[in-house]
Amino acid sequence: MFKNYLKTAWRSIVRNKAFSLINITGLSIGMAASLLVFIVVQYELSYDKFQPNYNRIYRVVTQDKFDKDITYNAGIPVPALKALRAEFPHIQFGALESAYGSQITVPSGKNETGNKFIVETGLFFIEPQLFEVFSYQWLTGSPASLKDPNNVVLDEKTATKYFGSWQEAMGKTVLLDNTVPLKVNGILKNVPANSDLPLSVLVSYETLKQNGGAYNHFETWNTTSSNFNIMALLPANVKMDDINRALLQFSRDQYKPLQSNSIKTNFLQPLSSFHFDRRFASFGDHVTSKSTLLTLSLIGIFIILMACVNFINLATALSVNRSKEVGIRKVLGGNRSQLFGQVMTETAVIVCLSILVSLGIAWMMLPYIKHIASIQEQLSLFTLQTVVMVVSIGIIVTLLAGLYPSFVLSKYNPITALKNKMASAGVRGVSLRRGLVIMQFTISQVLIIATAVAISQMNFISKAELGFNKEGVLILNGKSDSISLSKQTAFKQQLLQIPGVQSVSFNNDAPSSDNLWSTNFGYNHQPDEKFQISLKFTDADYVKTFGLQLIGGRIPVESDTMRELMINETLVKDLGIKDPNEVIGKTIRIGRDQWYPIVGVVKDFKTSSLREDIKPVVITTRKKFYYCTGIKIRTQQLAGTQAAIQKTWEQFYPEYAYSPQFFDENIARFYQQEEQLSLLYKIFAGLAIFISCLGLYGLVSFMAVQKTKEVGIRKVLGASVTSLLQLFSKEFTVLIIVSFFIAVPVAWYMMHSWLNNFAYRIPLSIWFFITAIAGSVVIAWITVGYKAIRAALANPVKALRSE
Amino acid sequence: MIKIRDLEKIYRTEEVETVALNKISIDVKEGEFVAIMGPSGCGKSTLLNILGLLDDPDNGSFLFNNIEVANFNERKRADLRKHNIGFVFQSFNLIDELTVFENVELPLIYTGVKSGDRKKRVEEVLDKMQIMHRRNHYPQQLSGGQQQRVAVARAVVNNPKLILADEPTGNLDSSNGNEVMTLLTDLNEQGTTIIMVTHSEHDARYSHRIIRMLDGQTVLENIMV
Ligand SMILES: Nc1ncnc2c1ncn2[C@@H]1O[C@H](COP(=O)(O)OP(=O)(O)OP(=O)(O)O)[C@@H](O)[C@H]1O
Ligand SMILES: [Mg+2]
Repeated sequence: MFKNYLKTAWRSIVRNKAFSLINITGLSIGMAASLLVFIVVQYELSYDKFQPNYNRIYRVVTQDKFDKDITYNAGIPVPALKALRAEFPHIQFGALESAYGSQITVPSGKNETGNKFIVETGLFFIEPQLFEVFSYQWLTGSPASLKDPNNVVLDEKTATKYFGSWQEAMGKTVLLDNTVPLKVNGILKNVPANSDLPLSVLVSYETLKQNGGAYNHFETWNTTSSNFNIMALLPANVKMDDINRALLQFSRDQYKPLQSNSIKTNFLQPLSSFHFDRRFASFGDHVTSKSTLLTLSLIGIFIILMACVNFINLATALSVNRSKEVGIRKVLGGNRSQLFGQVMTETAVIVCLSILVSLGIAWMMLPYIKHIASIQEQLSLFTLQTVVMVVSIGIIVTLLAGLYPSFVLSKYNPITALKNKMASAGVRGVSLRRGLVIMQFTISQVLIIATAVAISQMNFISKAELGFNKEGVLILNGKSDSISLSKQTAFKQQLLQIPGVQSVSFNNDAPSSDNLWSTNFGYNHQPDEKFQISLKFTDADYVKTFGLQLIGGRIPVESDTMRELMINETLVKDLGIKDPNEVIGKTIRIGRDQWYPIVGVVKDFKTSSLREDIKPVVITTRKKFYYCTGIKIRTQQLAGTQAAIQKTWEQFYPEYAYSPQFFDENIARFYQQEEQLSLLYKIFAGLAIFISCLGLYGLVSFMAVQKTKEVGIRKVLGASVTSLLQLFSKEFTVLIIVSFFIAVPVAWYMMHSWLNNFAYRIPLSIWFFITAIAGSVVIAWITVGYKAIRAALANPVKALRSE
Repeated sequence: MIKIRDLEKIYRTEEVETVALNKISIDVKEGEFVAIMGPSGCGKSTLLNILGLLDDPDNGSFLFNNIEVANFNERKRADLRKHNIGFVFQSFNLIDELTVFENVELPLIYTGVKSGDRKKRVEEVLDKMQIMHRRNHYPQQLSGGQQQRVAVARAVVNNPKLILADEPTGNLDSSNGNEVMTLLTDLNEQGTTIIMVTHSEHDARYSHRIIRMLDGQTVLENIMV
């Protein structure tokens, strides 16, 4: 019996080639898309799950409550480590501190100054106790390898990169930031890429204690750096809430004596939220919000639903043509369940074919998706989860797409079926088909609107007035040790000799960045204000190099220490002052320091990504913090200028790796996630439109066949081609308009909340919605047009004879 | 074999009520060859559909081999039908996607005959209908007469006790029509009961008895000699 099902199924697929092709194309693209979404979502959700104590690991984080707002910090003051151990002896704590952009120098026979490597992320100072919280595999050595100062543990790939093989690396000595010698004392197996703790260079924590100043590591309660984290492993029977309650009391006791203008509280952040909680900085390469994953999953489900809708639509439309076959089978003794089985088998065969095709598509697309989703690790298509997923998609789609048509077909009364009088079944089918087409066009239009809004917002961001000049500025990161600082003046002189270099500025930070140095302050001999300011330490050429604009007063005079201040418009406003000139000559006290005069006001510039508002800023001089060199270069002869800059760098700082960054690229990196999302929207909107057009095309082809006779008669009676085209397009236009009114509120809500992520955003103008409806109508007409014109132009005599 | 009494079938649509069968009573004995004639719309096909258990009557009694089947549900009717009744239609009603062989094989599949036996049985019947050489063709590749022979083959492959034929020669020219009539006569001689609806007096002459219908009732019965 089953073999017979298969055989007829195959024959009917071959016979209805066009319909089968449309179905298989739609289904396989839909399935490939949702399979890829599944792989990405699954990968993001797998972060850190390889940790055996996943459910018991926490980070002790800090909440800072000010009058107006609350800030969160993944870090905690350094002395808290000792205090926590004393207060909670039953909990295992382990501390680590990350250092960004540190340099490791590996001695080399060929190169006098050794091979220099910049470790952008992944260098950590680590307590041996951390390995009682997190578990890693050791190729050689043990947590005890990190007990003493001046020891380092490398992971296998870093050891291989530095020394050729990890066996070679053991026992060798490397130099950290040209000052601290470290002996390679252990090798860790590579940490999986889906980890928020990407350990690669592990320096013993004792080393940090001895060199605290160089890494801004201070044993004080009033500094909280997000680089210093304390991890905790709770015993199996201890609840997070209980510890959080105890931490509330702990925080009260510890922070009260500080008398700061905010209330600090420590609490536990579970490991399961490390990858998803945007309030806290992550050591990993990215944080993904759960809502993005949800949006993605929903889109994946929608796409596959649309493909199923096509299937149901076409199958029910086709079933009218199949009524004769069904009637015969019934007369010959086929009962309902057998017919049901037969139609289901046909669906299953099409679904299986589609699965094969979709696996091919997914396999080809995987590298691109990996790139779009910025996933480092090799993704594989054939894991247990994906196989389970594919099989369940197959079953669900077969049921979704097959149940209704099978039901309709098997229900046919054999006598009416043989007469091909499907009047009653037909009418019901039509309203269902209309409903399904509306659903498809709703989804497509929502996606069109989302795409248009996302693209415009990203455009807006890239064109936004930033208040500074991001083009043609090269940023060099160095260190601010005394030797380096002493060479700065000469270095600058030499750089300015290069014809392509316009200006050079030493500073601690570019105008716009994520690393903000904030502090409390007082204005005009008053007590401390209720909000914090951001600090930037720069020389006098900063304004020129980054193209900032002075709107009052002057630039602070060049000085090795803090002497004069320049503030931004926002700070003036936040202080409740209207006229910028009013603040000039007034004083500000930073932290517990002395009062310094304000000598200038700078026009507002964006201090971080456009997601955030402009922060109140104080710009002042302090040579000690000038780690960065900003170089404004002419855009002509870029390559020559860059080569000359590199040569100068190597001449002055041979012991430091040269790793230049273009400022505009750094800024573009702020919006990586948004760019990815908007790219995904584009892809999915394209797919959704394609799939709904496929379905529409199928329906119209069917309609054309059904209406052949009607069109023939109308033509004989004198109907024009235009009026016949209207016959075809009227219905679809109405359906698109109906779906538009469903799509508008959905899309509005969705994009309104997305835009709310940005402090600077475009308005949700009516044009996005007009684009969506005009676009869908045009696309639908193009799809419908060809078939309709052919049907309308056909010879009426022929059409009538064929009936 | 068939005994119907006061059978009624009424079609109701929104505006009109059509009495297709009006308290009709008929008996057909095993081995008979009965022709049903009458003007268009008098209820012949309706009667045949009910006799073939494709449709159920609104009123009256229908004994099939002394079993009351008038109120059988669909499942029971399908079961009885596939073992006992074969159909031949005016428009052949072959499945276009299946070959000649597969079309004829279909009833055997539904009655659960094993594949080896099926092959033997189908070949036997195709041979008898002289259509064996076309076994792998599709219906569209055959002439009308050939298609109707396949349909007859399919109707008899299960060795049904009763064959119902609704205008089997309606779409055929006279020589092809005669061929089909000869086939039916042969089958009848081998013991199969046949009930045939026809508009042709010529075809009706092959039968033993003609039942003439008008407005859903029998009006006359001619016994042939
Ligand atoms: N499904 C139906 N709904 C409503 N009326 C029907 C239906 N089927 C048949 N009828 C009506 O019942 C009556 C009998 O129809 P039937 O098909 O049995 O006639 P017939 O004798 O076979 O005619 P013909 O010789 O033209 O085939 C007709 O008046 C027909 O219009
Ligand atoms: Mg009839």
